[in-house]
Amino acid sequence: MRERPPGFGNPWLQLALSVLCVLASELLLKRGATEVADPNSAWSWTGINALESPLVWWAILLVVLSFASWLYVLKYVPLTIAFPLSRVVDVLVPISCWLFLGEIISIRRWCGIALVVIGLAVVAKPIARLEEKL
Amino acid sequence: MSLIALALILLALFTFVAGQIFLKHAMESTTTSGHEKSGVVAQIGIGIFLMAVSFFITLGLLQRFDLSYLYPFQGLSSIIISLIAAVVLKEKLTWPLTIGVLLITAGVVLVSMS
Repeated sequence: MRERPPGFGNPWLQLALSVLCVLASELLLKRGATEVADPNSAWSWTGINALESPLVWWAILLVVLSFASWLYVLKYVPLTIAFPLSRVVDVLVPISCWLFLGEIISIRRWCGIALVVIGLAVVAKPIARLEEKL
Repeated sequence: MSLIALALILLALFTFVAGQIFLKHAMESTTTSGHEKSGVVAQIGIGIFLMAVSFFITLGLLQRFDLSYLYPFQGLSSIIISLIAAVVLKEKLTWPLTIGVLLITAGVVLVSMS
């Protein structure tokens, strides 16, 4: 690990920013795509019509930002640590769907989400090692 | 869930993972000497194209399903990566990996029934 710059350049701060950008972009994509949804259109499965929504463009900007800060994080933090930590977003997304999007999540779905999160926690380290080789 | 929706969810995952692998491969070959520049550019182009396909399919799916329903499926991308690594890199599937894969799959099955 290299010496870590302080302040805004702190890799852990950047990791948190990256995760928050991913979370916000997912919520914005959902809002934006739903806003302009037209299920009767023949092209609707391609999702291209969602570009009409400004929220989708904000989401794209956030995806780019999260990518940039993620690349920065990888300069300082090993993938075997950064990747498992970044999976916290898998918990934050369903919780935010419930809080901000008003999605009703059944007990069965919560159980499924919990199993996925536990499974990801178990595989995160081996996967991160694989990705370093890929 | 209709068959077409399942097919599109899986297609979005596979194009995403394939795009990642193309990008990774392209970036890695720039660090070794004697690489062909046109090959690297082509690989980056293919990678970006595949990720764009995945992005738009996901947008189309978001117009029809809850985000809390679609999101857990992304756990499957970890499984796809480990399977590709096992096949392409001849990696051994370790016990933690196998147990995790089973847990994620069980979770996704539960979510898809909800």
